Amino acid sequence: MSEKNVFYKIEKSALVTAFGIILLFSSAIIVTLIAPNYVDQTWIKPTSDYQVQMYEVADPNIYISSLSTGSSELQSVYRLQRDFTLLAFHEAETVRIVAPPELEKYISRYESPTLKLTSRLMMLRKPQKNGSFDAEKQADTLQQKLQQEWAQKNPKWEEQRLQKPAFDIFELYEIEGNEAFAVAATERILENWVDEDYTILDEKVNQEYHDHSGVIYVNNPLEYRVTHYTFGGEEGWRYDPEGEVVKGIEELKSHPLGFLSRRELIRMGETTYAEEGCWYCHSDQTRTLVQDVVLNGSEAYPAPPSSANEYIYERITFPATRRIGPDISRVGVKRPSRDWHQSHFWSPKTASAGSIMPAFQHFFDYDPRGTGKKVSGVPNVKFEAVFQYLMTKGTRITPPTQAWWLGKDPLQTKEIIEGKKVLE
Amino acid sequence: MKIEFDDGPVKSMLYPALFFLVVGMAIGVFLAFNAFVFPDYFSGEYVHFGRVRPSHVWSVLFLWLLSAGVSYFYYFIPRLCGIPLWSSKMAYWASGFWWFSLLVTTASYPWGTNFGWEYAEQPDWVGWIPVKPIFVLGWVLIVINCFMTIFNRKYKKMYVSLWYAMGALIWTTFIYLAGTYGINMVPGGISRVNVNFFYVHNVVGLTFTPLGLAAAYYFLPKIANVPIYSHRLSMVGFWSIAFFYGWVGAHHLIHGPISQWLQTTSIVFSIWLFIPVWSVIHNLMMTLLPHWNKYVESVPLRFIMIGTMFYFLTCIQGPLQSLRNVNEITSKTDWLVGHAHLALYGAFTSFAIAGAYYVIPSITKKSLWSNSLANWHFSLNMLGSVPFLLSLTIGGLLQGMQWASWAQGTTYAEFHKNLSVMPFLETVADMHVWWIIRGIGGIMILFANLLFVVNMFNTVMLKPRETA
Repeated sequence: MSEKNVFYKIEKSALVTAFGIILLFSSAIIVTLIAPNYVDQTWIKPTSDYQVQMYEVADPNIYISSLSTGSSELQSVYRLQRDFTLLAFHEAETVRIVAPPELEKYISRYESPTLKLTSRLMMLRKPQKNGSFDAEKQADTLQQKLQQEWAQKNPKWEEQRLQKPAFDIFELYEIEGNEAFAVAATERILENWVDEDYTILDEKVNQEYHDHSGVIYVNNPLEYRVTHYTFGGEEGWRYDPEGEVVKGIEELKSHPLGFLSRRELIRMGETTYAEEGCWYCHSDQTRTLVQDVVLNGSEAYPAPPSSANEYIYERITFPATRRIGPDISRVGVKRPSRDWHQSHFWSPKTASAGSIMPAFQHFFDYDPRGTGKKVSGVPNVKFEAVFQYLMTKGTRITPPTQAWWLGKDPLQTKEIIEGKKVLE
Repeated sequence: MKIEFDDGPVKSMLYPALFFLVVGMAIGVFLAFNAFVFPDYFSGEYVHFGRVRPSHVWSVLFLWLLSAGVSYFYYFIPRLCGIPLWSSKMAYWASGFWWFSLLVTTASYPWGTNFGWEYAEQPDWVGWIPVKPIFVLGWVLIVINCFMTIFNRKYKKMYVSLWYAMGALIWTTFIYLAGTYGINMVPGGISRVNVNFFYVHNVVGLTFTPLGLAAAYYFLPKIANVPIYSHRLSMVGFWSIAFFYGWVGAHHLIHGPISQWLQTTSIVFSIWLFIPVWSVIHNLMMTLLPHWNKYVESVPLRFIMIGTMFYFLTCIQGPLQSLRNVNEITSKTDWLVGHAHLALYGAFTSFAIAGAYYVIPSITKKSLWSNSLANWHFSLNMLGSVPFLLSLTIGGLLQGMQWASWAQGTTYAEFHKNLSVMPFLETVADMHVWWIIRGIGGIMILFANLLFVVNMFNTVMLKPRETA
């Protein structure tokens, strides 16, 4: 070692200091930062199969855009994938399904207790005459038969001035290819979920999630079609059952349709939530305190306190240090209305009297009250993103069939705060 | 033998820092009025509270407090080591990276660049500028420079300020890397939250605290011209900080969605924080006690002593707030905002101001431009601090009690009725009067510190006045 060498000159006390500091500090890091991930399973284990399927199955495969160019109404489109998406073809009182003999087993008949699911790629359509199977004729026969049955049940229907019901009859058919786009009834916040009396009619288990304690499924999908048009210089489009088929994910996401998956929207919402600094005023945790479970609870039931695993699918989490505005950890249940959020973001002071929240009019391209440049107000993608992000809050802890807002809280928060159950 | 110290590096950090002290305070006053007294008076994408708040935080925390702290390192490390700073050139490069990156960062928040983690809002990129890597580069250069000076020092025995400086340099490096890069390496969700609060608490506890205490331990004996009361006590304080602070981050999530054992661990270590705090306060107080007349004579000494008192208050609050039953009331209210200001403004900004009063005349070799202006600064600052800090503390406490009143009763129906009788928004409305008082206090503080910066500016720029 030469005398100029830096390390030669370091004398013991400086070295001991540096070493001591690093030692003490790293012991803190190991115990408080690294260990909990291994010791406490709730930090990494999901809350329920429903949560997993919402984030991993539903969100990436449901696409959302405006209903048509310049509209503030939303269009949701399911991306169906062969051997992946579970489908149900479920008859209702006035909805019936006809199918060629080889597909008949996939129909869950009206009043049958078991829901039949499949990951074969099929959809419903207006009955057509196609090859050997004449769905049109079958549907007509069925319509007449059902109406006769109805007339027998209501023999005095003419005197009672009742209208003869028109049954919606669809044809079940199989799609070629591995992917299709469909519209189906959806709540947009919760998904169809079944955890008892169901069967999956596949030869083998195609996906891991098909084996969960329950599954998310798409009910009675109809093919999604659009019509493009030009009006003045503007390109436009609208949903049209008679229109053109959407060819693929690229077309769905491209201009002018401009669909984004719910997963993309939720992530954008998270980023927007960070950039706008929402989290300086709104905490995202229902603490284990009576006042918190009451504040976030519904009329009849307290909200369960937040658990670590509610957040595992997030990249940024905002538990926050200050609660200037209300907590958001259960907002998906407390405020599920898109209309409410629309008017609230536009003018919080008007929407909830006494609020000090700033207006977020940059979430809109036009005035939603119709007093601005355009007749109809259009919330822009920032609004959609933040809205979708907020709707994940509190809605995915348990499946909708076992939800806390129905009084089925697995933690028994109500019993605990009323002193009827003691925590160990 | 007299050593010639090159104080250019000190100036390159301290002068801009003084300017950003008032900028940051002005943004704070703007927020106090535009977000709370007259909510959303100036409305819109670029001026609303969420977008502007990080600009306030980064101005006062990084552009002012951290920069001033580094400038004092440049000042006292060479003087305590008996050799010039290892490399002035390196220090200038570091300052260049530092100011460029921090300025771009702080100014960019209203345009929506927030990274989303508390005190770690700095994004990786602002447009095409990689601000975070540039900041890290600047910091690493500072660390190397200071350590090389310490390694090559002439005086064998290390004064406590050097220990704190070394601690701050090492800790900040690790904490910053953990809080900004490491956070993305752990699983999403509560693990990241845990890393963030580790970072949040340690930026205050292991960066600003040693930075401030190093300054206080250096400037107090220098200004008062008395030796420190006890070197051993200062070592107790230093090593207990080194041992306890890293463990307490999780106390930001008491009653929150993290494991109970981790909450308890953080509470236990939080209580132990009384040890370093009291040893520091005892040491500083006992140093000046026999010479208390100097408190009256010297403005910087008054700032150090008031800072010590604020440090005392904030450090009584800290451990107590971490107790579960106290936390239930104070957490998530303005009490916490008050607590943060008590520490970073009340204590550490006071230490840093005292440092400026000592360092600037020393490096410019001129006497202070106006002593009476300095007196006014201290008095107005104190007068503003009282309504400012008290309103946040009392208002927060009352709001916490209001929230707790929802828990009165035995059945859920009763709890829920409490909430409908006093909805959340009513507890917000009741804060309004406290927010007005806070705003008024804020204006006084801003005005006082404008006087301070003018005084400093004149000291540097003008010829010393004949009569003092």
